Amino acid sequence: MSAPTKALAGIRIIDLSMGWAGPLACRHLADMGADVIKIESCERFDWWRSWEATPEWIEDDGAEKSAAFNTMNRNKRDVTLDLEHPEGHRLLLELIGKANAVVENYSGNVLPKLNLGYDVFRKVKENIILLSMPAFGSTGPWASFRAYGSTVEQSSGLPHLNGLADDPPTMQHVALGDAVGGLTGASALLVAQRHQARTGKGQYVDLSQVEGLFPLASHGILEYAVTGLAPARRGNRSVTHAPHNVYACAGEDLWIVIEVNSEVQWEALKGVVGEPLAGFGELADGIARADALDEAIAGWTAGFDAFELMMRLQKAGVPAAATHTAAAILEDPHLEQRGFWQYLDRAVVGRQPNPSPPYRIGDAPFPVESVAPMLGQHNEEVLGGILGLGADELARLTELGVIGTRPRMPKRGNQI
Amino acid sequence: MDVAGTISTGYCAKLYADYGAEVINLEPPAGFATRQLPPFTDGETRASSAMHAYLHTNKLSVDVSALAEAAVQALVTSADLILDDGTDYPGPEVSTGVRASICWFGRGGAFENFVGTDGQIFALNGMLRNIGRVEGPPLIPTGYQAQIIGGMTAFIGSMTQVLAAELENRSAPVHLETSIYESCLCFTEVGVVAAFNTGLHAPRMGINRFPPTYPLGVFPCRDGWIGVTVLTPGQWHAYCELLGMEELTDVELFQTSYGRLQAIDLIEPIMRERLATRSAEQLFYQAQKARIPLARVPTMEELFSVDQFVERKAFCSATLPNREELTVPSVPFRLYDTPPNFGGPVARLGQHSKDFT
Repeated sequence: MSAPTKALAGIRIIDLSMGWAGPLACRHLADMGADVIKIESCERFDWWRSWEATPEWIEDDGAEKSAAFNTMNRNKRDVTLDLEHPEGHRLLLELIGKANAVVENYSGNVLPKLNLGYDVFRKVKENIILLSMPAFGSTGPWASFRAYGSTVEQSSGLPHLNGLADDPPTMQHVALGDAVGGLTGASALLVAQRHQARTGKGQYVDLSQVEGLFPLASHGILEYAVTGLAPARRGNRSVTHAPHNVYACAGEDLWIVIEVNSEVQWEALKGVVGEPLAGFGELADGIARADALDEAIAGWTAGFDAFELMMRLQKAGVPAAATHTAAAILEDPHLEQRGFWQYLDRAVVGRQPNPSPPYRIGDAPFPVESVAPMLGQHNEEVLGGILGLGADELARLTELGVIGTRPRMPKRGNQI
Repeated sequence: MDVAGTISTGYCAKLYADYGAEVINLEPPAGFATRQLPPFTDGETRASSAMHAYLHTNKLSVDVSALAEAAVQALVTSADLILDDGTDYPGPEVSTGVRASICWFGRGGAFENFVGTDGQIFALNGMLRNIGRVEGPPLIPTGYQAQIIGGMTAFIGSMTQVLAAELENRSAPVHLETSIYESCLCFTEVGVVAAFNTGLHAPRMGINRFPPTYPLGVFPCRDGWIGVTVLTPGQWHAYCELLGMEELTDVELFQTSYGRLQAIDLIEPIMRERLATRSAEQLFYQAQKARIPLARVPTMEELFSVDQFVERKAFCSATLPNREELTVPSVPFRLYDTPPNFGGPVARLGQHSKDFT
């Protein structure tokens, strides 16, 4: 079996999104061959380049050094357009006229302020798709409320399902909602694209990033729906499985997760651990005496290297995993053997690891074909190649400040 | 067609079903394993899993043992998409469609034969070590989150290939593989690349502390919990004004998140004291009016009655085989011209077998 790498060749997306969620959604489609044109401006650049500009940062090429921006925007083209300038506004609409979809993750009031929106886009391309992905969705009393990925996690109720009962509701991540919002956004865009491909029709797609997190909290939501009781927060313990915990290993802040889910795994664990677990009977005994069990296992793991112990336990069929650091993820032998990190050179920052798409056909990952673009890198290629603007016109637009390739100090604060 | 019945394939197929595809669960005589997942809507008899119901609204259930081999073959070869868990599936291949395998770690590589769990994925993706108290142990995120992320990611990969056929970019069948481990690296990939450049990685700083953002977290108010995120200088100024902490507003160190992070011991006691006397509900609306991204942190009990979620029908009803109704999360995105299903029926095992014999 084989498949063309560029599954989405022929689809063009205008990406007005910034930060994490929207750019991740578009990255999935760019990785599969869609022509994703990212729109920034010299003053209102993607805030993942930086939250604000300083003269020193501009001078130091700071806009090109962000690991976050560079990781999220590979395989895309980048155009700068000052959307507050009539010429920039006009050129954006001309580009949308030649696109299949527009993606935006602004706060609810930003597009109307720019005299932009679905109705405006439809006038230049009747069957355009617009994916809006605000935190709480485009309707309802919270439609214009501000949020980050952390706000999204907090609003989903998920923190009430994590941690110990005596601790506050416990968050998992600095911006959980963003990564999940990106996946949900890519899914939404693909469904709308298929409908467009089959019928020729576009539509407005409304995504609530908080609602996208409810599936991750579904175990708690369903427990409450069934029992009418708030799920207890048990830290790392499970009521149905044991051991189910995180145990210290040799070295500083190095740990191993062990989660035994069956009698077979329990017997395998006892076989590896030996004497410290000799006093325990069947799995139910381990669950009933979870404190003693955790103590026995913790005493045993403390002398081992976490990675080596993981390999040993897994070889015996016991679910176990070391808690990787960032450095360990880069050196992870499994990821290395699967070619997950693709190292490519990029201007200003040099050789960088790029994560592969998490799906593949065959043994090798889909290649990352181009690194994240520089600010305005494709102004000439896109505005000339797609809209037919000549060198004189591009020079005039540069002179006007509508386009450019360097950040400028904003007249007002950068929109985030 | 789902031939595996894992949480990942179930969630992936759920997205297809909720947006209008005909999804057939080809179940073994004992049913998919998700039918055995707690909680159960009928208590002790354990006959009806709420998690299975959530994952399998609007799908058809066929007991594979009720079908002749030729009927199974006809079903499989006609499918646009077959979902499996990467283990050897003895059935026939798709004819022109997509076979999508969702595996814990993927084929090949040192972990290929690992036994996977959600907690292990969050250990290996680097997320788990930053959750919890400084002294440890780090905390395992609860539930089936890694598997659901794997299903969501496989939806993207498989839908891409379904769309490729529509765009005439693909005519031959494809076998797509999604690794749950690699899917969940979406949470940490940015930090890994940053660490590659700086040699630094964020330490575990305690419950709800995730550098470099500060203040960040979930704090007690007099009537519940408030979620705080303050990032920009403008938000910091407005937040200080909201809580009456004007003495902190213009301190130079506090104008950046990094600076505030260095002064947690100074800022946090003052902030906690002010938050504790306020109403979370009122604070939330006051903050949002001032463009500060504070959040209500609803309990499971409160979630169903939050006005935003009620108005958007964020929760809907799954109709169980015994006709009881179960509240479940709705679809995560809305297409207004081609509306998705909000809730729907859950098939009993083999309910649709006769339709395919």
